[in-house]
Amino acid sequence: MVRLIRSSLASVVLALMVFIALTPILWTILGAFKRLKDIVIPVPKLFFSPTLENFVTILQNPSIRQGLGHSVIVVGASVIIGALLGVPAAYSLARHVRTLKGDLQFFVLSLRFMPPVAIAIPFIVLYLDLGLYDTLAGLILVYLVTTISTVIWLSVPAFERVPKEIEEAAAMEGCGPGEIFLKFALPIAMPSLFGALVFTFVLVWNELLLALTLAAGNATLPVVAASITSLGKEVPWGVINASTVILVIPPLVFIGLLMSFINGMMKPARR
Amino acid sequence: MNNRRFLFWTLTPGFAVLAILALISIAGALYFSVMDRSLRYPDYHFAGLYNYQRLLSDRRFLNALQISATWEIVTVVGSLVVATLLSVLIFETVKSFWLRNLICFAFLAPVLLPRVAAAFIWRFLYSPSLGLINYLASLLGFGPVEFLANPSLALMSVAIVDIWQWGLFFTVIMLKLLETLPKDPIEAAQLDNAKTWEIHAFVTLPMLKAPIISLALVKAVESLRSFDLIYVMTGGGPGTATETLDLYAYQAGINLGGRISYASAMSILLLVLTTIVFTLIWRGIRKWSV
Repeated sequence: MVRLIRSSLASVVLALMVFIALTPILWTILGAFKRLKDIVIPVPKLFFSPTLENFVTILQNPSIRQGLGHSVIVVGASVIIGALLGVPAAYSLARHVRTLKGDLQFFVLSLRFMPPVAIAIPFIVLYLDLGLYDTLAGLILVYLVTTISTVIWLSVPAFERVPKEIEEAAAMEGCGPGEIFLKFALPIAMPSLFGALVFTFVLVWNELLLALTLAAGNATLPVVAASITSLGKEVPWGVINASTVILVIPPLVFIGLLMSFINGMMKPARR
Repeated sequence: MNNRRFLFWTLTPGFAVLAILALISIAGALYFSVMDRSLRYPDYHFAGLYNYQRLLSDRRFLNALQISATWEIVTVVGSLVVATLLSVLIFETVKSFWLRNLICFAFLAPVLLPRVAAAFIWRFLYSPSLGLINYLASLLGFGPVEFLANPSLALMSVAIVDIWQWGLFFTVIMLKLLETLPKDPIEAAQLDNAKTWEIHAFVTLPMLKAPIISLALVKAVESLRSFDLIYVMTGGGPGTATETLDLYAYQAGINLGGRISYASAMSILLLVLTTIVFTLIWRGIRKWSV
């Protein structure tokens, strides 16, 4: 009897937690299809006649369309450059560097300790002097700190998981280090590397502070979304909900990938 | 020879870019912190340690320092406690593989949301007049609660959003960690008639000591970057009740007349503080986990 009560109590708690995890998101999605008169009422409505008005408002709003474009350019460029520079570095770090490995890894991690404000303020002045202020190129350059360091940090364990015997066999066959990296290590580590890139993508896609301080004139999507609240006295909750949904879609697409990435990282490394 | 060239060409570009960018920002912040540069005037002069001296007697700065520390402790401890309790609960009660995976998917969703989006979602939920939470509270007979406008509740209300994102995410990771543990010690403890909570408190969680400490470190580092969440939800208010150091530095350096030098001094102090604390923790982890 006690056992039954306990296990049903556990189910209730877990169901409640799943509810808490998902309801805010689902409620926002619901809100995105509501008219303002269905939102601004004391008793929340679960059933209402849905409308696409909010999405139309958003997609017709030039600043949001531009923000989407800017986000794609900035995030795309900084993640691709980050991967091109970070992945090879991570491979060498995992396989060829011995004495300095710990120090280099700590250096990469310590960049994550840096408060974003400490990066933003000197770069404001520098960019004002160089004419890079409010440009996408300037923002991409600063984002490289995040992308390169995150890619390196997450790719080193991915390469360490590649069985050493394969690479040793390739070396016996006379393959140079570059060939081993491109033909053997890279394809085998690819699934975990992809997870690392997705994680990096999510980090910069969500970034607000640097985008707000360095390129407010060429705002990315988070900056545009953050500014919607201050559109006058009447808060356009439907529009806010709709823009939240648009902001959320790209990262949420990757949820399955994140899951398999976690599963992969948790498996004991083969040595 | 070939090997050396490969090493050089793979390592140098990435690390050079990182080093240059890091050097520019640290050197730049140090340089401006001893000047009196403000965005309003083009010229500036050497000011010595004036900015630092003023910081130490700036009550708003000391307030921000205290709020940042509270924020760090509440979010790190909160996320880990939530993750530990929930992961053990799932590990013990949910045996079906599919159900477990389903719960994991639900728990991963919040952390993937952009902070700005999470902030909006919860601002909407917290709203006193049309929010879902206050509606539920009114069904239970509570009056509308001003979650974000009440100075004594605001910081905790924002922290709950952070724990909603990270605590549930860490639950998934801790569950995966529990699944990787060898079964023998647990079975041995069961043979000794240990209660379930005793098994976890004295056997499994101590075995996971090293990964749990790394999770705490990751969370502590990520908690430093909560500017977006707080900025959208409260903007540092009401008053300065949720104004962390990065918010104050942003306000001083960019919003309020661009006092670049003052904000630089603040970010240098923040940098020194975090570097010292995290380096010590990092050393501790490596000593512990070896």
